[in-house]
This record gives sequence, C-alpha cells and structure tokens, in this order.
Amino acid sequence: MCVGLAAKVVGVKNGMAVVDASGAKRKVSAELIEELEPGDYVMVHAGIAIAKITDDDASETDEIMEML
Amino acid sequence: MDEQKKSALEIIKSYDGPKLRIMEVCGTHTHEIFRLGIRKILPKNIELISGPGCPVCVTPVGFIDEAVLLALEHHVTICTFGDLIRVPGTKMSLAGARTEGAKIQVVYTPLDAVDYAAEHPEEQVVFLSVGFETTTPSSCLAVKNAKLQQLDNFSILTANKTMPNAYQALKGSADAFLYPGHVNAITGEEECQKLANDGVISGVIAGFTAKELLTALAVIIEKSKTGRPYFVNCYPRVVRSYGNPAARKVIAEVMEACDSEWRGLGVIPMSGMKLKEAYKDYDARIKFELPEIKGKPNPACRCGDVLQGKCKPSDCKVFGKGCTPQHPVGACMVSNEGSCSAYYQYGME
Amino acid sequence: MKSEKKVTLAHGAGGKQTSELIKQVFQAHFSNPEFTADDAAVLHVDGKIAMSTDGFIVSPYEFNGGNIGKLSICGTVNDLACMGAKPLYMTCSFIIEEGFSMDKLEEIVSYMEKTAKEAGVKIVAGDTKVAGKGQVDNIFITTTGIGKIIEGADTSGAYAKPGDKIIVTGDVGRHGCTILLARENLGIEADIKSDCAPLWGTVEAMLNTTKDIHVIRDATRGGVGTVLYEIAAESSVGVKLDSSAIPVDPAVKGVCGMLGLDPLYLANEGTLVVIAPADQADALLETLHQGKYSKNAAIIGEITDTMAGKVVVTTEIGAETLLPQPGGELLPRIC
Repeated sequence: MCVGLAAKVVGVKNGMAVVDASGAKRKVSAELIEELEPGDYVMVHAGIAIAKITDDDASETDEIMEML
Repeated sequence: MDEQKKSALEIIKSYDGPKLRIMEVCGTHTHEIFRLGIRKILPKNIELISGPGCPVCVTPVGFIDEAVLLALEHHVTICTFGDLIRVPGTKMSLAGARTEGAKIQVVYTPLDAVDYAAEHPEEQVVFLSVGFETTTPSSCLAVKNAKLQQLDNFSILTANKTMPNAYQALKGSADAFLYPGHVNAITGEEECQKLANDGVISGVIAGFTAKELLTALAVIIEKSKTGRPYFVNCYPRVVRSYGNPAARKVIAEVMEACDSEWRGLGVIPMSGMKLKEAYKDYDARIKFELPEIKGKPNPACRCGDVLQGKCKPSDCKVFGKGCTPQHPVGACMVSNEGSCSAYYQYGME
Repeated sequence: MKSEKKVTLAHGAGGKQTSELIKQVFQAHFSNPEFTADDAAVLHVDGKIAMSTDGFIVSPYEFNGGNIGKLSICGTVNDLACMGAKPLYMTCSFIIEEGFSMDKLEEIVSYMEKTAKEAGVKIVAGDTKVAGKGQVDNIFITTTGIGKIIEGADTSGAYAKPGDKIIVTGDVGRHGCTILLARENLGIEADIKSDCAPLWGTVEAMLNTTKDIHVIRDATRGGVGTVLYEIAAESSVGVKLDSSAIPVDPAVKGVCGMLGLDPLYLANEGTLVVIAPADQADALLETLHQGKYSKNAAIIGEITDTMAGKVVVTTEIGAETLLPQPGGELLPRIC
C-alpha cells in the first residue's frame, strides 16, 4: 500500500531534508522525525521521511531467525 | 545466497503442517511477493491471500467521478499520485478526462501540489488525497502548509482510510496477517499486538526486501506450530513499538475519523479520515459544494470479492478478457499492487 | 543587446528567407558533394540495402547527453545498424514552431552534423516547414536513411534460437530516466546522462568479430523489457533473464526506486539487445567491452524452447517468475 524508499540523509534545513538513494537526490519533509542529521538513514514515503532506520536488512533478519 | 536466507527459505519450503492461509494485507507486499516469485517456492499447504491494502483498489468509483467532475465542470487542476490516473470511474478515468481537456498533474508528494498552487495563483488546485496511515500524514502536512501560506486556491479531496477496522472486517479470511510494515511505522505495534492477545488473529509485521519477506513467512510458519496466538515485529529496523508519534499528532490535528466506503467491502464505520472543522476551507467537497455522487461500478467486475479473498482474480468472468491492465474494468487491474493486475502480469491462473 | 533571431512563418514560405535559412543553417552544416539543391538527391548504391524512417518528438528537445538533433541521427543510424547495414545516406525533414530560436536551431543542426560525421552517414536532402505557434511543440524532426548491408550479416527479430545468449550493449534505462527527470518536474536530481549514441561502430565491431549474430535490436521505446517480448513473439521462443546480471546505473536504480519504476521499461537510445549463439557470446562481449559505447555490455540471459512468447526472470531468491508485460504510460506511483 505504500512504496517506501530507504535513503541516506545528506542535508537538513528548515524541516526539510535532502535524501540520497544511490545518487538520486530529492528534498523531503523531515518534520515528522526528531533530531535528523546528515548520515542518518530514513524511510521515505510520498515525499515524507516517516522513520529513522538502519540501512541493513541482514542483521535485522539474522536476529529474528536467531530468536526462532 | 548466504546461510541466513537459506534457512528462512528452507523453513518455508519444508513446511508440511496443516493448511496455513496467510493474508498479505498490504498491496506493496503483494507486488513484491509476485516480483520475487515467492509464490512459486511455497509448498501447496501454504496459501497467500492478497488483501485490500492498496489505496487505489479500495477507492470507490464515486471518488473518481468526483475528481472528474471537479476537473471538467469546475475546471480545477487535479494533482494526484500517478496510481489513480487510469482507475475507471462510472463514465471515465482521469486519463479519459485529460483527453477532454482536464488539467491533471502527477505529483510525487502532496507538498509539491501545494508548491504548484503557490506558483499558479490563477488556478484552483485540488489534490486527490488517498492512502492509509502511511500516506495520510503527507496530506495533513500539505494542508497545514497551505494554511500557513494562506493559499486560497488549494484544497484536497479526501478518501483516506485507516486499517484497524478493516482488520476486524477481514479477520475470518486468513489464519495470519502479514502486516503492512509502513503503516506500522506510523501506528506502531499496539493494535496488532492486541489482535493477537485477544485471540482475534495472529500476525507479523513484515518489511519489503526478499530477506525480510522470507523471514516474516518463516516466523509465521514456526509460530503457527505452537498453536497459540502470536504477534512478532519482523521489521524492527523501521517499525518502533510506539510508531511515529509526530505523524499521528499531525493527523489528529488536521483530520478526524469518519465512515468510509471501501470498494468491494462497502461502508466500514469510522474507517476513513476527513478534514476537521478548522480546516474545512481546504476540503474540496465543501469548497466546490459537490453533490453526493454514487458511483456505479461495472456489474461484471468482482474486485470486491477479490479484495476479500472470496475469489481469485481468474474466477472473474471479465479477467484477462474484457479486463486487462491496458483496459481495466476494475481498480484491482489498474494498480501495480492490485491482485488482478499481479495475477494477469505474472501469468497466474 | 542583440535581439534573438527567431524562425518565422516566412522561413517556411519558400521565398528568399527560406533559401537563406537553407544556405545559412542547413547547407553550412550538412555540406557534402551529394547534398542536393535539386528536387531529389541522385545516389549510387550497390547491393542489398536497408532503409528506415523515424519521426522524433521529444520534450524537452534538449537534455543531458544530447538534443533532438543528435537523437534524430542516432535513431535512424541505429535502426539501420541493427540490420547489419552501414549507414550511407540520410534525409531529414524539419517541422519548426513559429518563434523557435534560430540559435537553438543552429545548435540542433550542428549536433546532427557532428553525429552524422561520427556515424559515417551523409545527409543528402532535407525539407523545412514552419508551423504556426502552438501547432507543434518547438521542433519535430523526421529522418530517413539507407545503408548497405554488410556481406554475411543477416539479422532479424525472428531469428532467435533456443540456447542463444542475450547480450545488452550497455546499462539500461538511462535515456528514459533522463527525459523523465527533465520533463516531469519531480524535484529529483541525479547525475544521469542519456545514452544517446550512434552505434554503427559498435555493430561493425561485432560483425568483424563474428557474422553469426541472430538478432540485433535497438532497445528504444518501452526499453529492453518490451524488445525482449517482441523478439520472444517474433521468434516463437522463450526468454530467460537473470535479474542480477542486468546492468543498471546506480543513480537510475535510485530514481526508479523513488518512483516505483523498473529500468527494464525505460527507453534507451544507445543500447542494443543482441542475440547470438552461445559459443559466440564471450568473443562478442570482449569486443563490446573495448568499444566506446559498450563498456558496460553484459550477458543477461538466454533463449529457451519453453514458455514461447514469454519473458521469465530468475529472481534474487532463485525463483522464476514472469516479467510483467509493459503497457501504457509510465506513471510514478506510491503503491
């Protein structure tokens, strides 16, 4: 229902952030995330950063499988 | 392939327990599951049911009719996500309205629609506000932004929806839900945890990469073996237990719950969102005094049954014949996330 | 300040201003012994020839990596090259909107000159019409070309055979992505340049390596995905792709991720799909890697005798799934 894009924050200014997804850059709203800094990774949907994330799905799934 | 994925894949491939029906609630999951070919590796006793989690698919015909009316009769500029362009209305789609001279702009975000309105003060701009909890904050930010700039040429046509009541409506259709990770990024875990605790339905929150989807399915299989209700967040790198409070706050500030029509499911009480009184100047229905429009879906179309998992797309008489992605009859054939489109494009019977 | 010179309706009326335009712009750039002032060019051609025509409307008419002029030469040159034909002569027909900048026209024409020279093709005749304001979008160009088919070359979309390897001569989707970003006002910035290039040199190098090539096709509109579906249907064979082998520029991947698009459906203007017997594939790839426009060439799959007419992709989890058939306008999506 919601295509999300994991992207790296490269700049933050006035509630907006510039994110970079392997070389494609766009300004998105950073209003809904507290304390966003360049270098952070975010999940972007419809031009809004909706969550601060870790970029790597490997360690996440490793941990879940450990738990089983 | 690394060790990790293999073991999740092995768990899935080697499952030989009782029949397990898993509903992927979210259309993006449906799309990714098809794209990765996950259905092809499932054993026979695991059935994936595509749920109603595609905002385009559940948007009723009448909404498109309203947008077409605004574009052709009121001559507004419609700003919309690309997804809605080809969805059929009673008489025509937005693409059809465009050939009759309607001005339709595809935008990446509602915030761009506000910018467009600011740059074109001579035009009335209406953004088509569809989507679930993930998308709704962007519409709310857009409206707040327009109010801040005191724009009098921007409004939105709302068809926003929320998931919790739909979960209740769908609980009988599956043994477990694959929860829509990006909705939970906003709403958090609480609602889903409660559905498991109350014994309503089990489920896991899933991400969208191959690893994440396989892991989530493996967790469902393993947890189902215990016979007890369960809930697991398999997407913790994005979904916090508390979700995104700032996003919920902006929704609560700008919008409030209302009854809402879902294509195929009918009206689900308090499952929609509309603008609050304080923002009524930005409500296109009020601003343009729209009459109540009852859309007429094509009677041959079984999108409704498909959305509830009551029939497969290929059970519908028009599937692949009168209804194809090039000439869709129902919304499920239009959206990339629609089950009918996925079945058709990926050659499923 | 000098006021900018513009194309006017008089430039298309056939009088003094028309001949000035031809002399100052077209003849100045396209000058060669065969360029005609008569009603038609008179040419000598021996042997089997290929002939092709193509109309170009591109908005915007200038983009990163080229403009409509370069595109109009590459398009026809590449169509000829796909048949194993060395491009010899071309004609071009311009439809220009009244008020179009004369400097821009000159720039477009100079790109055509440069590209034609590189491709080794001579422009021998042309036509100019000026349409009223709003009747065309800036400038439309139609080019027609003939080329001589190289001895031994015999390619067609109907010649793909089971067991053949599928090669793309470069990374996919760059032209389509460049135009999308320039046109749609999506607020996305990316350092992506159109792959627009004349490919006769590329094809000639391949044919010098081996004449045993079954299909060469220009992956323009609809991209590699569309071309593969066409070939699968024309040859009545199946196509099997390895998703991990398809070369895509990271920035193109990033843009596609943002907009929910697949680079396999984005247009290319300097990338070919080549299908050849398996025992020729490595030699062809080695040749391509030495070429100016084909450094990123890769083997992306093979032709099968199952699933005729379909394109099957092996995905990252090792499953096989159909590549969805492309259809209609590409629309950025949120779901």
